[in-house]
Amino acid sequence: MQTVAIKPKNGIKISAEAENISPDKFAGKSEKDIQSLEAWMGNQKTTLGELFTIKAEGTGAVADVKVVMEGDFSRVKRIGEGMTAGLVMIKGNVDMHLGAKMSGGKISVSGNVDSWAGREMKGGELIIEGNAGYYLGAGYRGETCGMRGGKITVLGSALDFLGEHMCGGEIIVKGNAGILAGLSNNGGKIVIEGSTSRPGSEMAKGTIIVGKVDEMMPVFKLEGTEAVDGVSYRKYTGDVIVNGKGVLYVKE
Amino acid sequence: MELLIKNGAVFDPANGIAGDKTDISIKDGKIVDKVSSGAIVIDAGGRLVMPGGVDAHSHIAGAKVNVGRIMRPEDTRAGIKPRTKITRPYTGYTVPNVYAMGYRYAQMGYTTVFEAAQAIMKARHTHEELEEIPIIDKGALTLFGSNWPTMDYVREKNMDKLAAYVAWGLLASRGFGIKVVNPGGGEMWGFGKNVTGLDDVVPNFEVTPRDIIVSLMKVNEMLGLPHSVHLHCNNLGKPGNYKTTLASMELAKQVKPSKDRQVLHVTHVTFNCWGGTNWGDFESKADEIANYLNNSENVTTDMGQLIFGSATTMTADGPVQYANAKLLHAKWANGDVELEDASGVVPIFYVKQVSIHAIMWAMGLELALLTKDPYKVLLTTDHPNGGPFVNYPEVIALLMSNKKRQEEIKTLHEAVHKRTKIPGIERELGFNDIAIMTRAGSAKVLGLLDTKGHLGVGADADVSIYDIKPDQTDPSAEHAKIKSAFQSAAYTIKGGNVVVKDGQITATPMGRTFWVDASVPDEQKEIMMKDIRMKFKNYYSINLANYMVQDAYLTHPYVVRAGVIPVEVS
Repeated sequence: MQTVAIKPKNGIKISAEAENISPDKFAGKSEKDIQSLEAWMGNQKTTLGELFTIKAEGTGAVADVKVVMEGDFSRVKRIGEGMTAGLVMIKGNVDMHLGAKMSGGKISVSGNVDSWAGREMKGGELIIEGNAGYYLGAGYRGETCGMRGGKITVLGSALDFLGEHMCGGEIIVKGNAGILAGLSNNGGKIVIEGSTSRPGSEMAKGTIIVGKVDEMMPVFKLEGTEAVDGVSYRKYTGDVIVNGKGVLYVKE
Repeated sequence: MELLIKNGAVFDPANGIAGDKTDISIKDGKIVDKVSSGAIVIDAGGRLVMPGGVDAHSHIAGAKVNVGRIMRPEDTRAGIKPRTKITRPYTGYTVPNVYAMGYRYAQMGYTTVFEAAQAIMKARHTHEELEEIPIIDKGALTLFGSNWPTMDYVREKNMDKLAAYVAWGLLASRGFGIKVVNPGGGEMWGFGKNVTGLDDVVPNFEVTPRDIIVSLMKVNEMLGLPHSVHLHCNNLGKPGNYKTTLASMELAKQVKPSKDRQVLHVTHVTFNCWGGTNWGDFESKADEIANYLNNSENVTTDMGQLIFGSATTMTADGPVQYANAKLLHAKWANGDVELEDASGVVPIFYVKQVSIHAIMWAMGLELALLTKDPYKVLLTTDHPNGGPFVNYPEVIALLMSNKKRQEEIKTLHEAVHKRTKIPGIERELGFNDIAIMTRAGSAKVLGLLDTKGHLGVGADADVSIYDIKPDQTDPSAEHAKIKSAFQSAAYTIKGGNVVVKDGQITATPMGRTFWVDASVPDEQKEIMMKDIRMKFKNYYSINLANYMVQDAYLTHPYVVRAGVIPVEVS
């Protein structure tokens, strides 16, 4: 078991890119080695040790690494990028691209996350207790697949373009989502317990379950009602314009 | 500056040197007889020495390349390399940034590359990019196949006016030669239609693709242009199109060359040697094309080899790109260049287990291996249509090693066994063949063999040295070594400067832009210009004064002179 505790030093005011904060990068490394890992602050190359107070104990394989982060990380991007295993626990807010391309392990955040969290995620689990920004679990600009696997849970709300170009995996939002949830998605499952607007545009495959839709896109075909887990939903299929086979459930 | 390359195993097919230990002397950017004792000596130590690589067909600059970049931000993520003291940043794989174009070609030992298609109206953009591509010499072929003036003069059978228009179009675009893409089809695509063969009549112009190709070939020889007509055939991308390709090649018999080269270059044959009638019975007819090439003169081709993985198709063939986008459910960019042509850009991912892609992979190789004379088949991937140019070393290794091909075939869709001949082809090309397909042949096809593609006295001092000892290497068994050697040249020398050492860029001089200034009698030009001025007045959205590429766009020009000479038409 290896535990790494990270706290921000005096307020990070401009964006820092810290893709090296990841169990994969920390596994088996000493405190000093971890502190000397590269990071960027604005256009200046620096180290994790310069930006953060880092304390590491023990050693272990990637799956046995636990990273505990406490403080304000709202200007720190790319935490846990590409991680394959291990645990990252964040007490605070974080900036964009949290857990992008991660394929395993677990990240939990007690606060809010900015846009692109879980971008192109392949596996693992992301739990966000606060709110999420735009493009949660979405694809990179121009890419045809966003999230392919894993699970994202948001206890608060999410902004627009949630699960855009999603090809697999699962996103659950307990609150509301912004416009165009599941835009162009091609697989996977999105559950929004609150409300959203214009979900599932251009969807080819996949499932979207919504509590309330403020505005429906006129591209879905109503198939009747169906019960999911004992709750009655209106079932739609579409997007018919792209000959889509996606399914959209809206609570009655 | 003087340079002496000693102890190289030199392959210089244009001068009949095949692996001999020959010294190469360089002075002031040219190959010379001998240099003084003060020359800097590079000891090649028995390693492979070739002329700098020449690529006659690649999409490296211009409007559609940039559309590719804009529509594929995800591609930009690949191949990122930060700037160094010498180099600017690299980005992209199928549609790299301008700097990476120059650096990556130079790192493979290439020193001359021709952009394969620019519309006259978009030529300023092409030259803006060419001027930023470091190191390599370059040029751009100009599209004439669906231009309204071309079709007007073809209908009127007025070859003098057509010659004047081509000469003026090359000046207006600072272009190097005549490119013809799906002749007539570009115009018809403006109405959502396409031509389906050489004898379809283009509405409003009453000409056929056959007329357009033959007329442009005649005019090409009238003007004595260095390169021949460079043809992207009709029906490209449709099963059964090999018949159209053969019929187009047949047309070359109607015109005699004005120079020691072909009269028709049929490009990226991987995309137009397709048999079958639909995607179900799709098969390779590359053997038929190779058979034709073996029994004819006057026609050359290039492979357009398919590379598995990501590619970006981009062409002036608008209708084929619409079909691709529909078939693949892919992103699609469509362009209409007013009176000149159409265009389209569609990303694609070639997959080993897709039967059509596996068969297409075989086609380029079959063409190269079944055609006896390597001067008739150039090595290209039609970058980035078949795949990015950085994969040339992969293609070289495939051509040189049957073992590698057999290993690859095992990983492909089984259709490659039934619908192609590649599993049974045992021929393995040698270093001399490769030097022809990537150097001497390309230079000859382009009409630049006086200064490019060879190492004789008077040639440009473009030399590449690779980390292979030909006499101690068995390319068939050691194909991985061949591939890695061609990926990063031990030395690339461009115009007498060492630009690459051990695969790393060491200097970034700017290359030149080649264009052809073809003269026609003034009165002939004046008559033609009357028509052009009318076209601008009535149809173009821009002014003639804003149309021409000005000298300011070419800061490193190299002008090749040509002009009207009599031609025998049989």
